[in-house]
Amino acid sequence: MTNAIETDELTKAFGPTLAVDRLHLRVEPGQVFGFLGPNGAGKTTTIRMLLDLHHPSSGSARVLGLDSRSDSVAIHARCGYLPGELELYPRMTGSRLLDWFGSARGGVDRVLREQLVERFEVDLDRRVHELSKGNRQKLGIVLAFMHRPELLVLDEPTSGLDPLMQAEFHRLLRETVSEGRTVFLSSHELDEVQRVADRVAIIRAGRLVVTDTVENLRRQAPQTMELRFREPVAAAVFASLSGVQRVTADGDRVTLQTTGELAPLLRAIAARDPVDVVARHADLDELFLAYYRDLPNADGN
Amino acid sequence: MATDIARLDLHNRRRSLIGYTVGLALYMLVIVVLYPAFKHSTELNKLTQGNSALAAVFGATGTLTSPAGWVDVNAYVNFLPLIMLLLTIGYGADAIAGQNEDGTLGLLLVLPLTRPTILAQKIATMIAQALTLALTAAACVYIGRAFDVTLNPWHVATATLAILALSVDLGLIALALGTATGSRGTAIGIATALAVGSYLLSSLAPVVAWLKPTRFASLFYWADGNHQLAQGAGLTSFAVLAAVAIATALATNTALRHLDVR
Repeated sequence: MTNAIETDELTKAFGPTLAVDRLHLRVEPGQVFGFLGPNGAGKTTTIRMLLDLHHPSSGSARVLGLDSRSDSVAIHARCGYLPGELELYPRMTGSRLLDWFGSARGGVDRVLREQLVERFEVDLDRRVHELSKGNRQKLGIVLAFMHRPELLVLDEPTSGLDPLMQAEFHRLLRETVSEGRTVFLSSHELDEVQRVADRVAIIRAGRLVVTDTVENLRRQAPQTMELRFREPVAAAVFASLSGVQRVTADGDRVTLQTTGELAPLLRAIAARDPVDVVARHADLDELFLAYYRDLPNADGN
Repeated sequence: MATDIARLDLHNRRRSLIGYTVGLALYMLVIVVLYPAFKHSTELNKLTQGNSALAAVFGATGTLTSPAGWVDVNAYVNFLPLIMLLLTIGYGADAIAGQNEDGTLGLLLVLPLTRPTILAQKIATMIAQALTLALTAAACVYIGRAFDVTLNPWHVATATLAILALSVDLGLIALALGTATGSRGTAIGIATALAVGSYLLSSLAPVVAWLKPTRFASLFYWADGNHQLAQGAGLTSFAVLAAVAIATALATNTALRHLDVR
């Protein structure tokens, strides 16, 4: 089956600065793919290269099996795009804007358009410059989805949306992938990505740090344990155990993180007469942030 | 689909285009309506007769009280090109660079249209706006026949078309500069400077000996610096103006192909 997105050694330099550095990415069809990274990591530049808005300095990208440069018109016909900084014609009403973009795309399904408008409570009668950021974003969502594209490229799509609309948008994403379509979702919102993405890639300083399923990442994510003992305990007791990290001891209290097997750790805890044990579930936020900050670059899986 | 971008740009600029058109029409009508009051004024002719420098500054190419001299000095060599250049240079700078700065170009370029198609629609929009003003000016001159402004219709048509071509040339230069630099301000600044330089060269070349050989480098010379209203614009003028337009459009197309869009 053709990947929805494939990049090989995709690179973009702005002068001496490498915005995207030899990026290898594979996005299979029919899934929500979360594309994460801190500010300036290269997420938006990557998206712009996929859509032929930016030209790669080297490397290549294929979108829906087509070359991003030479087949860009065919790609644009099959993609929906919501930019991170959505700017619309300020003096046009929402209604006119949707009419115009629909016509420029060669016509769209009016029923689907009206469903989206109703679902997101889009105000079509006011001019764009009179709309709040959230209401403009809702117009952008309708623009991206109304021609029922095979691939949706969404850059910070829930920016400005209230929690109800965010939840509605997440339902729309699930419905979209259930129809076999693909969503490429760039976001700062770790929580949002955890909830909706099937697979995640993290990019930092233009390079891919990790790509995996959310489930696998969750398994790798550290569990945090907060322990209290009858007597003070030294941190070194636990720090030497396999998979245990970030051990801090303060008198009779010890906090640690573990990604390894639990049995040796539990035996070590039991041997020191614990009075209280609190274990928190694996937190992907912490893992993501660790990738943002700490880990060395590593291409591929 | 083929004309959507042109229709959108014309719609978004309809108010300014109507303003330009109404303002130009009122001005042109005042000029032709006033002609009978000045056509026998020998004092007016004395201003420029024997004073070629003053005539050059005003762009006068004959007697001021002849129909061609009157319309030329009051409209065709300065006011009409000025208004049309304001429109075309402004649009040229805005069409790609301005929209890229505003962040609206990206949504156009992810439509299923090639960049050359989008550029062609932008150029067509520029021509349509300039044509509106050109037709307005020519119609007002035609109305002037009722006020003794009797000019050869063919000469009026070709002279007006030459000014249309001049304004499109400089508008395209602004479009090319904006696309190449990504800066609306740079495009307006350089294109305006070129227009002013071109106007001065065409106006002053007849009276400054060392400038005379360089007048051919002025787009104004080919458009309205060579008695076009009295004698009609020739094929050479149109060939030069068309060649500049084609070369600039091709350069813009190349720049647009390489443009990284916000």
